[in-house]
Amino acid sequence: MTSDFDIVVIGAGVVGTAIARDLSRFKLKVALLEARPDFGDESSKGNSALMTSGIEIAPDSLEYRLVQRGYARYLEEAPALGLPMRKVGALTLAWSDEQCAILEEEFERVRALGHQDFYRLESAEIYSRWPNFGPGIRMALWAPEEGIADPFSTPYAYVLDAVTNGVEFRHSWPVQSVDRLQNGWALHSADRNVVRARLVINASGLRADIVEALAGYNDFEMRPRRGQYLVLDKAARAIHDVIAMPTPTPKGRGILISPTIFGNVIVGPTAEDVDDRDDRATTVDGIKLLKEAMATMVPGLTAIPVNTAYAGMRPATNYSDYRIIPRFDHDWLTVAGIRSTGFSGALGIAEHVIGLIVPHVFDVRPKGSLSPVSVPDLSEPSNRLLKNGERSGADPAYAEMLCHCECISVGEVRDALASPVPPQTIKGLKRRTRAMFGRCQGFYCGARVQAMFDERSKP
Amino acid sequence: MKAAIGNPRVLIVGAGPAGLAAAAELARSGVSDVLIIDRDDSPGGLPRFCHHPGFGLEYARWPYSGPAFAKKMLGQLQDTPVRISMGTTLLSIENGPVCEVIGPEFGHAQLEPQVVIVATGIREANRGNRVVPGVRPAQGILTTGLLQQLVHRNVSLPSYLRRLVVVGTEHVSFSAILTARHAGIRVVALIGADERVQSYSAAGWLARALGINIHLRSEIVSIAGTSERVEAVRVRKDRVTRDIACDGVLFSAGWIPETVALANGPMLIDAMTKGPIVDQAMRTSIPGVFAAGNVLRGVETSGFAALEGKRAGAMAAMAVAGKIPSGQARETRKMAQSRVPQHWDHSLPEPLELSDRWRPARFRDAYERQT
Repeated sequence: MTSDFDIVVIGAGVVGTAIARDLSRFKLKVALLEARPDFGDESSKGNSALMTSGIEIAPDSLEYRLVQRGYARYLEEAPALGLPMRKVGALTLAWSDEQCAILEEEFERVRALGHQDFYRLESAEIYSRWPNFGPGIRMALWAPEEGIADPFSTPYAYVLDAVTNGVEFRHSWPVQSVDRLQNGWALHSADRNVVRARLVINASGLRADIVEALAGYNDFEMRPRRGQYLVLDKAARAIHDVIAMPTPTPKGRGILISPTIFGNVIVGPTAEDVDDRDDRATTVDGIKLLKEAMATMVPGLTAIPVNTAYAGMRPATNYSDYRIIPRFDHDWLTVAGIRSTGFSGALGIAEHVIGLIVPHVFDVRPKGSLSPVSVPDLSEPSNRLLKNGERSGADPAYAEMLCHCECISVGEVRDALASPVPPQTIKGLKRRTRAMFGRCQGFYCGARVQAMFDERSKP
Repeated sequence: MKAAIGNPRVLIVGAGPAGLAAAAELARSGVSDVLIIDRDDSPGGLPRFCHHPGFGLEYARWPYSGPAFAKKMLGQLQDTPVRISMGTTLLSIENGPVCEVIGPEFGHAQLEPQVVIVATGIREANRGNRVVPGVRPAQGILTTGLLQQLVHRNVSLPSYLRRLVVVGTEHVSFSAILTARHAGIRVVALIGADERVQSYSAAGWLARALGINIHLRSEIVSIAGTSERVEAVRVRKDRVTRDIACDGVLFSAGWIPETVALANGPMLIDAMTKGPIVDQAMRTSIPGVFAAGNVLRGVETSGFAALEGKRAGAMAAMAVAGKIPSGQARETRKMAQSRVPQHWDHSLPEPLELSDRWRPARFRDAYERQT
């Protein structure tokens, strides 16, 4: 089967879905291809879910500019999409003389860039506001604008918006080979489907180099870096409700402890360069490192039950900055190396990409009217319960709880299964609803959720 | 949220052995307006899913199968005015007692019963709670409860799942073996941390006779495989690690009281048991709220939980009749804030003088023999 498009985006991570969403605003025929059975099934599912304003990024980089823009757009556009965001603020902590010196320098640097909402806190001030920090903290930098958001619903909202407004989303569609056409490219899948596109946008994250190589480009190498996390029970939020991280080292930002938008606390990520980009296993050493970090920074958290551990993979390259490379004379645009700020930067990246394409490559007009889209706000069970209570008069399925830990009703799971972008796997259903994401991890509801999923999947 | 029409006099949370036994006792005592709520789709609690004998011995003097015991408990409520509302979830209990519930019958509502009995039971610690490192496929990593529900509800298991390693050597671990066999899954190994099997020795003999290797003084180090499926578990014993090939891992026991609805409320939770603190009359720190069964601690048998439920039912009946005070809110000693959440408290409630009549028979007999 062959179909023709103006633009094909390869990769439905948070970046690919954001680009597809922005493209859906124009009179263009767009397809979004994803190798995995679901969107956001690789790097985008295992991150820290920080919505960062970008102040810690080197100011001469593209990343700095696009993350700032992405953050601003998120604040503006997330509410209409139903996406929650909390500005909890971030603290960068220093224990030693060296660390203090680094932070002093960082403080001057950031202030000089014109960021006024950025503060330097002394030890006494830190402990009076956050008494649960472990001992020995000498100073900290306080960035109150840093936030947290929903890492799963965000790409879901983008892809749903894109699909509702005309983009064709094809999952389980790995690009196996490409042929150069006179005007564009023909992409071939493993099962002999073909799509032709006048422009290809390669946003395939962790596999960007493989897709690049298909078209004959070898400008960068992937250096996948694994990050492991611990998820603590919601009881942890009474002890810790701020993003806290150690002074960065040349190796990276270090292990942070942050609340999640769902009310848990996460500890992570580790930073391990790995050979196998699919090796998202957690390790004995990694978890030991996380527990040590927790015991040093917020010792009270060690008494809180752990819900689970997970690992994500950053799609880093041998370059520190993003690799956004227009090759319009070859009808190809590379959007790669979105290493760890993709979640915050996605909307900025999408805007930048649109700016490159319209009107220079496609001189098209925006669509006259758009269909608005919103996803369920999964952040606070209390809000959802109120809504479910109101809806249950007409449909009692909203009052029958399926996942008791996270308070997800039969009605909500049913709605997710009937979505225009339905889950293809049980993990996809889990990410759309949060069912089985709670402390019991499916002990009570796993069988019923699986039964509902199987029922839907039956031919 | 709305106030529910028709508050019950007694609200029992949980239709497992403890909750059902409490209801039966209340009915026997002539308390008429009793409502049981349970968030699952059918009553009976966890024994429903355990299709093998050994349930209810202490309560009913017979080792019923799980479903048969559940049926017996429900049978006791026939011809009584006790009502059961399935699919109704308790969300919180505040002083009053005021219970926030949601369910098809009530919607999102507040119930204000005179007395509440919390009998919400327990769950097992899963792989995530135990922080066992390794691969994280979507299927093939189970708990006994999950496997038994999947089998009971006729939900498809992954077709490749043929060999299972069971972590734990308690009664429930052997229950898992029986369920796995029923589902056509072979248990290849049992892994226990202790010196000996924590269930009856006969259970160990039986397992060995079935060709199951029992690895004692051993711990699971990690799970190997791919992002799609489990391929082996790495087990350590006396500093020697080895891999056991398998298609799935089942974590059994490691009991955790189910307190999700209590976590943010005023009820005091014991830092040791992780369940509500109760006194001899099964009263929690919230006046009018009793608790019984395995929510108090992991784990006793279903028969013991039912006996405890019966006792809580008797106490609740006395409270309804005004024969005992339903308790009073206690000042609590705060724990160091950075150590544990504030609602975890080690202090013991004020003792209450009770006549021997209200001690369970087995304790009373022992007491009388001594004196």
